[in-house]
Amino acid sequence: MRGARTLGRLAPFVALAIIAIVPLLVTDRFLLKIFTFAGINALVVTGLALLFGYAGQVSLGHAAFVGLGAYTCAFCTVRLEWPWLLAFIASGALAAVGGLLLALPSLRLKGHYLAMATLGFGLLMTLAFVEAEPITGGVDGFGGIPFPTLGPIEIREASSLYWLVWAIVGIALVAAFNVTSLRPGRAMRALHGSELGAQACGVDVVGVKVRAFVVSALLAGLAGALYASVVGFVSPSIFTLTASIAFLAMAVVGGTRSLSGPLAAAVLLTLVQYLDALIPGIPRETAQTLQSYQEDIYGLAIVLVVVLAPGGLASMWRRQTRGSHAS
Amino acid sequence: MDAFLQFIIAGLKNGSIYALVALGFTIVYAATGAINFAQGEFFMLGGMLGAFFASTGLPLPLAAVAAIAATAAIGAVFELLAVRPIGGGDPLRIIMVTIGGAVVLRQLALHFFGPDERPLAPFTEGLSIKAFGAAVERQTVWIWALTAMTVLVLALVYRKTAFGRAMRATSIRRDAARLVGIDARAMVTASFALAAALGALGGLAVAPLTQTAFNVGAGVGVKGFAAAILGGLGNPVAAVAGGLILGLLESLTAGYLDPVYKDAVALMVLLVVLFVRPQGLLGGSGREKV
Repeated sequence: MRGARTLGRLAPFVALAIIAIVPLLVTDRFLLKIFTFAGINALVVTGLALLFGYAGQVSLGHAAFVGLGAYTCAFCTVRLEWPWLLAFIASGALAAVGGLLLALPSLRLKGHYLAMATLGFGLLMTLAFVEAEPITGGVDGFGGIPFPTLGPIEIREASSLYWLVWAIVGIALVAAFNVTSLRPGRAMRALHGSELGAQACGVDVVGVKVRAFVVSALLAGLAGALYASVVGFVSPSIFTLTASIAFLAMAVVGGTRSLSGPLAAAVLLTLVQYLDALIPGIPRETAQTLQSYQEDIYGLAIVLVVVLAPGGLASMWRRQTRGSHAS
Repeated sequence: MDAFLQFIIAGLKNGSIYALVALGFTIVYAATGAINFAQGEFFMLGGMLGAFFASTGLPLPLAAVAAIAATAAIGAVFELLAVRPIGGGDPLRIIMVTIGGAVVLRQLALHFFGPDERPLAPFTEGLSIKAFGAAVERQTVWIWALTAMTVLVLALVYRKTAFGRAMRATSIRRDAARLVGIDARAMVTASFALAAALGALGGLAVAPLTQTAFNVGAGVGVKGFAAAILGGLGNPVAAVAGGLILGLLESLTAGYLDPVYKDAVALMVLLVVLFVRPQGLLGGSGREKV
């Protein structure tokens, strides 16, 4: 029983070590790129884990914040010729401001108006990315985005890009862990239980929810900037409702009141998209079928997890360790 | 002046459709206290199933009735499979399930009917009706007539029949309704079926004008919800009023400003109403007590 507990304590460090040495073991550049995408998705899902798993709010528009970050980074680096780091920060900041403007009216109320407001926001932004052609390049997209630079160093190697992305995921996770284990985290958990109860205990319910949403929008914006810099090209077809649903599915499958669950779900569900590249022997048709049923999988996963195991992966894991603890 | 009248006609046409979708939101909200994110997909299913049944050679009226009945059945099955297992508990879980379910319904439509837009014949062929210098398409008249009739029938059912009274009792207080012998769970299933039928009617009525595709649900869902919120969520009369006002706002914006902004109107309305008057134009105080 002590073993399970120690394992639970050690798990984050083991995961960290595995994540850190991946580029030393994997030399294939395409595979590394897939793992880099997994990191970008993990960054978005970490924000959603705070919003959904702790504050009990649903967003159907996070792809729009990713898009906002991606286009901001593209515009600032290419048109304004800003240094990358400044553009990266601006991307997060703009997404956070957008999140604040959306969250303030929607979150003052009980009920889940935020979900509908974010759905509308996402649909609207998809339209805006197409229509604002002078800034976004319209349907043809925005190309020629430079690699990230830190001062004089240009980060262009697949392995360096991987490390950059996962380092930022690591920073976000540490920050999120601190938020959840300190006072704001207790406040968030309290309002997941009973909003009125939390309010009666002096928790600023609206403030906590708004902050959780703004942080999640910020992380999504940063993830968008990373995506734009890693790929070098953005187009409106990436930041759609479909992508928002995918992020939500990752957060839901990962589970509530947890950061490692959503992290694991983000990585797993990202890798499923590239199964043909990961398992070389897999028949082409199987991979294609799986790809065309991708969204079905996300939708079904949300329904099944919410109906059968509302706590997601995280609570299954918790039950497991607690079970072995009792024996 | 002629242009203004034409905008009003277009606004009331779209507004009637939003009203039907908004009524669907209102009915499910009254029964469960949750927002049904699959409402827009019921709209999509109505149009797609109608086009499908018509393409199999079924006469149009029969195809329409079949599409509405099938969508209502899908709504009921959806409730039984996904919503009922949750029980009357946490609205967040019901919302999540309807989000996932909406994706599944849309994908099923994609797999069955393909990605292409599908046409549907107008309910009656013929030239537009001209009056006061404006032209009204025959299908628009159908939309108005069907919406008006639906609202009338719904009002009668809710006031006069035992079923309607049971629905209203459940929405006011679930436990109390159970105590007087109403099967509250069956009422929730019925509310999903009814909401699905209303959405399907909307999708069916508008399909001859716009064509329809597997992915139209989410956009219409947001607009229907904006309409429901504008009037006051949970109030059927307000839902209809909200739908008509939203339709008018949209068509006047598209007409006098720029058609590009048309789709932004619903979100603006949604946010402004949430910010300024969350209980809606016709709603009373929605405060909750400890």
